[in-house]
Amino acid sequence: MAPAQAGYAPDLSAFLKSLKVQSLEKSIENLISLFKRRQIKNSRPCAIATAHLLRQVVAKSKWSDLGKLLERIQQVGQRLMEAQPREMVVGNIVRRVLGMIREEAKEDRNEEFSDSGSNSQKASPRREPSDLSLSKAGAVPPIGTFSPLRFESNIGPDAAFESSSNDDVFGKSTRPPLMTSHASYAVLNGVPVQQSMFNLLSTNSSPSSTPVAASPVGKSAPSSAAISHRISTATLDLKAEIMNGIEEIIDELLQVDEQIAAYAQEHIHSNEIILTHSSSGSVQKFLLKAAEKRKFTVIVAESYPNDHEATHAAVTGKTSQDEKNADEMSVGTFMKPLAAAGITVVLMTDATIFAIMSRVNKVILATHAVIANGGLIAAAGARIIARAAKVHKTPVIVVSGIYKLSPDYPFEFESLIEYGDPGSVIGYDDGPLVDKLEVDNPLFDYVPPDLVDLYITNLGAHAPSYLYRIVADHYKPEDINFHKPELQF
Amino acid sequence: MPASDPPSAAEPAESKVGQEPSNAKDTPKDAAKEAPKLSGAELKKQAKAEKAARRAQALADKPSGGTASPGQPSPISKGGEGAKGAKTQQKRTPATNVETRNLPVRGASQSTPLPQIPAKEDKTVEFFRHLYKPRRTTLTGAAKEVHPAVQALGLQMSSYTICGSCARLVATLQAFKRVIESYTTPPGNTLTRHLTSHVLSPQIEYLASCRPLSISMGNAIRWLKLEISKVDIYLPDAEAKKGLCEAIDVFIRERVTFADAVIAKSTASKIKDGDVILTYAKSSLVQKAIVQAFEEGKKFRVIVVDSRPLHEGKHLARSLAELGIEVKYCLINGLSHNIKDATKVLLGAHAMMSNGRLFSRVGTALVAMEANGADKPVIVLCETIKFTERVALDSIVHNEIAPADELVIPGGNLAAWRDVKKLQLCNPMYDVTPAEYLQMIVTESGNVPPTSVPVLHRLGNENQ
Repeated sequence: MAPAQAGYAPDLSAFLKSLKVQSLEKSIENLISLFKRRQIKNSRPCAIATAHLLRQVVAKSKWSDLGKLLERIQQVGQRLMEAQPREMVVGNIVRRVLGMIREEAKEDRNEEFSDSGSNSQKASPRREPSDLSLSKAGAVPPIGTFSPLRFESNIGPDAAFESSSNDDVFGKSTRPPLMTSHASYAVLNGVPVQQSMFNLLSTNSSPSSTPVAASPVGKSAPSSAAISHRISTATLDLKAEIMNGIEEIIDELLQVDEQIAAYAQEHIHSNEIILTHSSSGSVQKFLLKAAEKRKFTVIVAESYPNDHEATHAAVTGKTSQDEKNADEMSVGTFMKPLAAAGITVVLMTDATIFAIMSRVNKVILATHAVIANGGLIAAAGARIIARAAKVHKTPVIVVSGIYKLSPDYPFEFESLIEYGDPGSVIGYDDGPLVDKLEVDNPLFDYVPPDLVDLYITNLGAHAPSYLYRIVADHYKPEDINFHKPELQF
Repeated sequence: MPASDPPSAAEPAESKVGQEPSNAKDTPKDAAKEAPKLSGAELKKQAKAEKAARRAQALADKPSGGTASPGQPSPISKGGEGAKGAKTQQKRTPATNVETRNLPVRGASQSTPLPQIPAKEDKTVEFFRHLYKPRRTTLTGAAKEVHPAVQALGLQMSSYTICGSCARLVATLQAFKRVIESYTTPPGNTLTRHLTSHVLSPQIEYLASCRPLSISMGNAIRWLKLEISKVDIYLPDAEAKKGLCEAIDVFIRERVTFADAVIAKSTASKIKDGDVILTYAKSSLVQKAIVQAFEEGKKFRVIVVDSRPLHEGKHLARSLAELGIEVKYCLINGLSHNIKDATKVLLGAHAMMSNGRLFSRVGTALVAMEANGADKPVIVLCETIKFTERVALDSIVHNEIAPADELVIPGGNLAAWRDVKKLQLCNPMYDVTPAEYLQMIVTESGNVPPTSVPVLHRLGNENQ
């Protein structure tokens, strides 16, 4: 493996530092071994590491067209996912990056066609999405009242295929050829006067549909060679945009807890008794946010053999190693213990959950990964908590960033469960006993969707049955099984 | 009759109240003397103040008292094993009397601890607050009437050396046998009238202060009191004592020893080849049943689920594994994974409530719930001595709260939890399992559904 940074054990921050100095291949190898050795674990660090690495891949590897880049990222992604298949966020991030690149590619192509090769003068990247979506909209009767973003998310699956077929459609669609030369004007300058002038000329009354009119006339079936040629000239721009896109994903990862916490006060009222499990930054921030306005009681189940130390540290306010890393990662994530915020915190063992559930108003769970059926993978013990809550008709709220939402739909849930060190259940110092017993220490539980009442993500609160829709919004169907070519059509 | 047997720990011997005022007098007297003599006895006053200070110092340095805030009022607010004894004494006001009686010197400095009172935070959990009882862990302050056998037993109970409803019941009755053996009726009294109120009561009180009495102990003590009251007042002491001791032996044999054997046999007959038995924590009855089935040559596996802080299941797993039974051990976090493999769930009981609910080690309800969710039969093994006419709907109204410090892992992050404001630890011992999770209760008088608990209980009482 790549040489670890001298002085401390390799972890997320060490990896991020090494990323700048190491060669790409070394960094990939480094991350794979960190995953394998569980030196980077838990959803968020994994997601952040993956996103940073992919950014390096985009920046450092040589690629001439987007197809090559996609292939390269798929390759790297596949290796990372194989290194730690149970950290599902790795796959999620890779898929999101892939989807983002495809998106850019599509825009780029449209841009391409509309302004006939004048890439260097492209308008600001912010403008493009709307142009793109409206260009799609143009195929339909005049609209313009549609929110472009909303519409874009409904755009069909296969980017390449679809765009070419759309081209055909546009080609046949009764646009007068004389528009071509003016189209670039509209995009470049974006001067309202000009736009309105085009409207006069255009058969379409919607002002924003002008670029469409300009589209593909004359080159309804562009050859791939032509595309690659254009793209190669555009590589620099594209690269910057893709890097930007990845930066946005990283930003989202850093801010997700705050975004989720913003919903806290809608869900917690005064004098509630809230049960939570294990220690999670998301849940803690969520509760802290609610504590700014309200006083309530939090019961923490300690999640004994695996996370109890972190839980104890969290309730007593000692920062553990992980949290320190989190601090380095994002500014201002200093976490004060809940008790210091004026909340009464009661620490109890996992076994007491049923006994106290009759007094609990809400259960708030953190999660490791959320799967598309609305179920979740969470720290072991979460399932009995959720079930006990169900028995007592106590609502169960799951707090999770969108990045944990995985498009995977495993039909056999046992495969998602990771088993931990049995030494934390029965110490190896108890030799004779260890020899005779079979000891079992699962790290995760699968919680089926019917035990969950509500998901709170950075996009808001959703019913478990709605999650599949959010999956569809965030991942492109062609990326979902990219690591399993046999499942792709 | 429940009022009679578990004497509330907070009403200890009234006889020693006399001591307290005499000590308490000291301080006011000093104050009274000094106040008027402003002019004359300056020196004398100073000397006195010094003396008082020295006395206070001496008290503070006493090993059992510890340096920390003697006399703070909130229960369970102090850590450390050494301090616990002192805590017990100072916690409840009446208990202070017990303390001062033995060491009258201490009463003198009641004024010193006062200033520290407001500093301490109540570390008890609000909705369990009615359940907190200080637990005695040392002999200091025990009433002098307490028999040595009972004294030892009390300590064993509070340290969980003797643990488990039936074990405690048997040990208590054995100790009471010793008490009865060493008893002589004072002149002018009869055994029937004197033994229960003057000899047995302090013992029971002491045991309850070590750890709250189990429900089966309550049942047995009630029975013993009834037995004593039935003794003919003209019977000579020796014969009466002999009769009582025999009755205790018979009781133990019938209600516990034989009952256990019957239950073990009947449960073993339910274990079939290829079964996977899941059990939670440790019940001596479940252990007996499993061992019996194993000795009958059945081939089956056992899954032992366990939890913090007592890890009782580990002992069960160990003893079963040593016999050669195939045992899997996991903590409660692995419960939902292992319940799928199980074919039967065997549970021990602390008590069976009259509404058919099972009162047992905390965590049992979770196991029964998961078993119910996975459609596995839940079988409870329980002697009828553990049946009670009490009812319970949740685990909060009636429970036992163990000292929170048992949750602290040495060297872990919790070590200083008492310093963290608004942080509380809670360590209840039992929970209540709803009756609908239980398919069968195996008792020595047959296998019954949970709805039949009150019927069996009544039949048992009518027989007495």
